[in-house]
Amino acid sequence: MKIICLVKFTPDVDQFQYDYEKNILIRENVKLVINPDDACALGFALGLKKKTPEVVIEAVTMGPLNVTAMMADILRRKVDLATILSDRQYVGSDTYATSRIIGKYLETADYDVILTGSHSRDGDTAQIPGQLAEYLKLNQISQIRKIDQPSMLNKRALVEVDSEKYLETYEIPLPAILSVGRESNYRLPFVRYDDLDLDVSDRLRIIDNDSLAVDSKKIGLKGSPTKVIKSYPIDYQKKEQVIVKNDDQGIDMVMAFLEKEGYL
Amino acid sequence: MKKKCLFFYEEDQGNYVKDLLEVARQMYGENFESYALVINPLDVNVISGFDYLLAVKDQRLKDYDLINITSLMAECQQVYQFDAVIVLATQLGRMLSPRLAMRLHVGLVADITAIKSHPDGTIEMIRPAFEGKLLAGIINDGDGPTMMSVRPGVFLDQQSTAKIPEVLACQLQTIEDTGMRRISQIRKPDSRDIRESRVLVAGGGGVLKDFDQLDQLAQALGGMTAASRRIVDSNKADRTIQVGQSGKTVHPELYIALGIYGALQHVAGLNKVKHLIAVNTNIKAPICSLADIVVEGDAAEFVRKLTTRINENKQAE
Repeated sequence: MKIICLVKFTPDVDQFQYDYEKNILIRENVKLVINPDDACALGFALGLKKKTPEVVIEAVTMGPLNVTAMMADILRRKVDLATILSDRQYVGSDTYATSRIIGKYLETADYDVILTGSHSRDGDTAQIPGQLAEYLKLNQISQIRKIDQPSMLNKRALVEVDSEKYLETYEIPLPAILSVGRESNYRLPFVRYDDLDLDVSDRLRIIDNDSLAVDSKKIGLKGSPTKVIKSYPIDYQKKEQVIVKNDDQGIDMVMAFLEKEGYL
Repeated sequence: MKKKCLFFYEEDQGNYVKDLLEVARQMYGENFESYALVINPLDVNVISGFDYLLAVKDQRLKDYDLINITSLMAECQQVYQFDAVIVLATQLGRMLSPRLAMRLHVGLVADITAIKSHPDGTIEMIRPAFEGKLLAGIINDGDGPTMMSVRPGVFLDQQSTAKIPEVLACQLQTIEDTGMRRISQIRKPDSRDIRESRVLVAGGGGVLKDFDQLDQLAQALGGMTAASRRIVDSNKADRTIQVGQSGKTVHPELYIALGIYGALQHVAGLNKVKHLIAVNTNIKAPICSLADIVVEGDAAEFVRKLTTRINENKQAE
């Protein structure tokens, strides 16, 4: 069985520092990390491979070449093959153009199932899995919290989905795109100590648009139907406010406020 | 000529879908016709506010069958040539909208928080971007309808008309067997919704270790506990109580923000909150500028003190 896991690397948003003097966000030296939902999907695939060694896992990402080290790290966690779709022409692609680029690669790739995360942590748009599913004409489902292992090997995946009001189980014939959420608690295994410096370069491929050959009019900024035309600073509505300490006097103030406004 | 807007109608989200009429109003004024598309409705008579209702009755079409729902909507697009397609960003809507956008070869702007119409007719959709530090104004540059998704509760239907829609016949031409089935569906036990609570006691990174204690304060105030993304990511709370861009948009009367920094993604989830109390060790945190009262100090300690005080008060009465 061949599994393709789509991964994305995002800035670690919790690491951002804010410069209060200059009122700017400090983005330098912020580490890129694997998108948490994508790590869960990869964690499931590696768990399945541990029990069923004939499972082959390929991780696919699109992005600048500075993700190479992180893809090498994924290979050291027992992923078989890593593919980076990278080209200067891809910069600025919106989700539509991105899906077409990744879709073009997947069309020719060999797989039984595609696993992705449900959400991306930076944009939180959750658009790529759905767009790709349409491009590849596959079933797709998000917010998966459990995938039954034997059913995967039988090519009819049983998945548990956590929707707002319900817990649901679906049977989905493979190939399909299964998008795993953080609630799944599937975790990436650690790199074994012996493998920390393992040379994985023979299993890492970089594919540019010379070989992928997506129509250059349909990629990058100019090939993206959605365009950012303007950005606005955050308009925090300022209020007349009282600042108190966390002491008896402060609690008195809060109590008086709650009383006055009818919350007690 | 009037603009045509298509809305995907989920019956159990009816009021939230109706709120999306406000998005169309902000785009087109009163110069639009609204079309709601509903699949296998239990009761079409409760659907109001739209001009037309495309009610599709076909038992082969399941509510989770996104491939065929997409085909159906694409066929409707062919027939009616909508200018805008507006989808509520529910779990289903968030899977459906990207698929439909790809089918129609149009861009999609997800989770918009505001919308503007320019004098030349360009529609500018606004959403948080750049890790939530700025708002981006985005246009759809290309042929086909303007497509967007909108979180429940972000726009509120200001007119709330009881207009009875005219029902239009609508049938999917060819249905594909996708082979997918739902095997079971179990309703979750506690489905009280934070969006319906008058008081929310919300915790962020500053109360990571003491998040459990927030319940006592919420109970004392007759409200519910809510959480920021930090808390949910740390598995301290379920995603159903998350406030913000990646969670829910809430409009309680009182919001107590405990150890919450107030990044735009979080603040995007607060809509028309009447009163806000922020407790933070850092009074320069953005959440504090939204507050009526800022308490400078440790949020967990504040929770203990205030809970004790409220409960003492109750006993004294």
